[in-house]
Amino acid sequence: MEETKKIITRKEILKQFKKKTQFQEILTRFLRNRLAIVGIVMFAIILLIAIFAPLLADYQTEALGMNPSERLQGPSMAHWFGTDEMGRDVFARVVHGARTSLSIGFIATLFSLLIGGALGAIAGYVGGWLDEVIMRVMDVMLCLPEMLLAIAIVAAFGTSTTNMVIAIGISRVPRFARIVRSSVLTVRGMEYVEAARAIGANSFTIVTRHVLMNCLAPIIVQISLIFASAILAISSLSFLGLGIQPPAPEWGNMLATGRQYMRGNSHLVLAPGLAIFFSIFSLNLLGDGLRDALDPRLKQ
Amino acid sequence: MADEILKIKDLVIQYVSDGEVTEAVNGIDLELKEGQTLGLVGETGAGKTTTALSVLNLVPKPQGRVVSGEVFLDGENVLEKSEREMEAIRGNKVSMIFQDPMSSLNPVMTVGEQIAEVVRIHDNVDEKTAMARAREMLETVGIPGERAGEYPHQFSGGMKQRVLIAIALACSPKLLLADEPTTALDVTIQAQVLELMRGLKKKFNMAMVMITHDFGIVAEVCDEVSVMYAGRIVEHGNLQDIFDNKRHPYTEGLFNSLPDINNRKSSLKPIKGLMPDPTNLPSGCPFHPRCDYVCEKCSKEMPPKTWINDTHYVRCWLYENTTESRLTEGE
Amino acid sequence: MADVLLEVKNLKKYFKTPRGLLHAVDDVSFTLERGKTLGVVGESGCGKSTTGRTILRLEEPTSGEIWFEGENITHADKHKMRKLRQDMQLIFQDPFSSLDPRQTISEAIEEPLKLSGTIKNHDERFMRVLELMKTVGLAERLVNTYPHELDGGRRQRIGIARALAMNPKFIVCDEPVSALDVSIQAQILNLMKEVQKEMNLTYMFITHDLSVVNHFSDDIAVMYLGRLIEKAPSEKLFEKPMHPYTQALLSAIPIPSLHNRKERIIIKGEITSPIDPKPVCRFANRCPYTEKICTEKEPPLVELEPGHFVACHMCQGNCSKPAPTMEEAEAHAAAEAHAGAAEA
Repeated sequence: MEETKKIITRKEILKQFKKKTQFQEILTRFLRNRLAIVGIVMFAIILLIAIFAPLLADYQTEALGMNPSERLQGPSMAHWFGTDEMGRDVFARVVHGARTSLSIGFIATLFSLLIGGALGAIAGYVGGWLDEVIMRVMDVMLCLPEMLLAIAIVAAFGTSTTNMVIAIGISRVPRFARIVRSSVLTVRGMEYVEAARAIGANSFTIVTRHVLMNCLAPIIVQISLIFASAILAISSLSFLGLGIQPPAPEWGNMLATGRQYMRGNSHLVLAPGLAIFFSIFSLNLLGDGLRDALDPRLKQ
Repeated sequence: MADEILKIKDLVIQYVSDGEVTEAVNGIDLELKEGQTLGLVGETGAGKTTTALSVLNLVPKPQGRVVSGEVFLDGENVLEKSEREMEAIRGNKVSMIFQDPMSSLNPVMTVGEQIAEVVRIHDNVDEKTAMARAREMLETVGIPGERAGEYPHQFSGGMKQRVLIAIALACSPKLLLADEPTTALDVTIQAQVLELMRGLKKKFNMAMVMITHDFGIVAEVCDEVSVMYAGRIVEHGNLQDIFDNKRHPYTEGLFNSLPDINNRKSSLKPIKGLMPDPTNLPSGCPFHPRCDYVCEKCSKEMPPKTWINDTHYVRCWLYENTTESRLTEGE
Repeated sequence: MADVLLEVKNLKKYFKTPRGLLHAVDDVSFTLERGKTLGVVGESGCGKSTTGRTILRLEEPTSGEIWFEGENITHADKHKMRKLRQDMQLIFQDPFSSLDPRQTISEAIEEPLKLSGTIKNHDERFMRVLELMKTVGLAERLVNTYPHELDGGRRQRIGIARALAMNPKFIVCDEPVSALDVSIQAQILNLMKEVQKEMNLTYMFITHDLSVVNHFSDDIAVMYLGRLIEKAPSEKLFEKPMHPYTQALLSAIPIPSLHNRKERIIIKGEITSPIDPKPVCRFANRCPYTEKICTEKEPPLVELEPGHFVACHMCQGNCSKPAPTMEEAEAHAAAEAHAGAAEA
């Protein structure tokens, strides 16, 4: 009896003194910010629409299927956003366009985060000549406008979804590299990193557990902002005919074709235009909200 | 009345943030005569700096607000003054030097310009005269006048603190508020700066409030001492009263926490516990949870001032009977 | 033969800077017995922290040797160092920046135990964490709190618990109390003394606060611009400081008492830069007694009395006048002050 009573487990004690975790604190701060809530709600709606697009409209028949008899109709109950020059339902095309934009945008962001983040972390933590080399290459890349770089890559390797992901991803690598490097540099100078070294932690433990964990805040903020810029880039490339090719629905190429009928049928440009606007606007609001919620200086 | 340069009456200051009320200063009375130096001693969060800021009417807004009380500077209540009127007073009648000399100077202006700026704001003189005054002030604080054209980063910590003193004294203020002016400096440099401040005080015949946590500095430069705890003055007196005749258990605890330099075998007797949370101060006497002499009354009521002699008072129930005897004597 | 735990021989640590070679630690030698405390004092930039960090091999020494428990660890490899890290620990000055803001107290204290892998069992290890928290006086209910929710004193206790976690033999304490309020400072100093007795710890206590160091240390080493200029048992150093810098340093301490007030020895000028120093006495430009030899030759550290080492030409009898005692130095300072006043 005595014995069983004595054994106390870690879980029990930790539970006994449980309190708000840091995540909960951040969440509380985030929810206090009204604009951030607007951002996250807006983005959640767009995301849900993208995920459940097949339920809202059938891809083959509604988004691609031509119906010349119903061409260039204004918004109605049957076609919420009207129809385009081939009689396709604009709502269906916008909804399926969201899928394309969000998924490609997300993959491209992830791609640049992995490459840029790794480069930045190495440059910041290792320092020395490696830092010099990496950052000078990044500087050169930053001299070229992101859009131009992306166009060049797509033009060189041909238009395909993969190439577009690479093009958009690579053109945003320097942004991640710079932000990760500068936050790693700040954190690396902190005493607790030296403290970890003094208790015998190796470089890998220090970078992953102490340095990167404390750099997360600016990186998360940057992710939301770069995600927004990637979505814009996809649309721009498609608008120029270098991205998603018609007839596949994409906001950018919808804008491009709709442009010719803009005078009489403004819904053709308004629908994809607003879709781009709201997705980027929501991500920017989200980013700002995250920045405020994650900033430790606001804790005090 | 005229020789009282500073008089604070029942000052209460609170900070409000996120719905929490921080009770920074909870009813302080202070009087300071011309040419005198008062040491304001206490630990972090005792409300020393907030008290000093209130004299400049600079309690940070909107979080900070003066709930009640009056602050008379040279006979005028600064808390009733407009921002415009205060601008004319700050740096002229009263100036302040801060703890951190590194961040108190503007890095893109030469030190000469920074001193001259104060002179021009208050004395309505042309640039040349102001610059000449700046050079003169640098000489006064022991820096060659020709260094006026240099930038703050070209000065060491001790030199920067001298520059800040020069800026503070440029308009010969009647009162100088010094907020831990030597804490960031090394001992030998601290000795230099304290020596300088003592000399300048005499030269300019100004009053000074020295905020510090170091009784060594108090012994060196002050005439009177107020010991602060949790936004209150718990004991006040002249140097003899506080150093040789201390009464309050907190004052005693502070002295016992200091290592005795002449007797290295003596053990430290720290005050038990921690500073109270200023958003949730203990009832009654704020020191009672840490006090060795605590009695029932302590947790209920804040003790009033008990005058030990004409210059020395203490706020502690231990000395309650002393008052009574004084009162009966009075009758 | 005394039980020597640590011996440092001619330790040097230079840093390359754009303006030249910075001599942070220049030819420092001393020995430290087990269970004792060596206080290292000096002003900012004198190299006292770098000395501590170089001994712990957090900085690679430029030259010189470090012997720990009779073993030369100057060039110990990674594998060896991991073991040594358990015996040699560091307590930091700033309890606000030396803790990872994203670790709870128990995680922070557990980390060294986890890294060394001495206790594999999850729950056992946690029991050890609780035990350590008790040792340093942290309440059990704080296990899930983050550093930013605590005051400086409590944070410093976490730092001490982390250092004690591996049952070390030697701890470098880098200004462990200078960021704390006096009443808390005394609590922490007492705690450190208690655990020292209990665990037979050896401390290297780095500080700029001379009254604390006198209270805490058995021996005191005074550093100036990377050099060890005087080392003696604490009592001796305070009773009979020899080096003019040590005298000025002791005299500059503000004493919290109205009695036996003495004239301050105020040395002029400020510490110069330790970048490419000339081979002369580094204190010569501020010393009130400088003679020709001081600006020509660097004084070696010589044992003038048993256990009392001084690096000063005057104290070693190489100058025209004998070195003044503390009283004489104070009288000298008083005379100068009077002369200054008379002039004014």
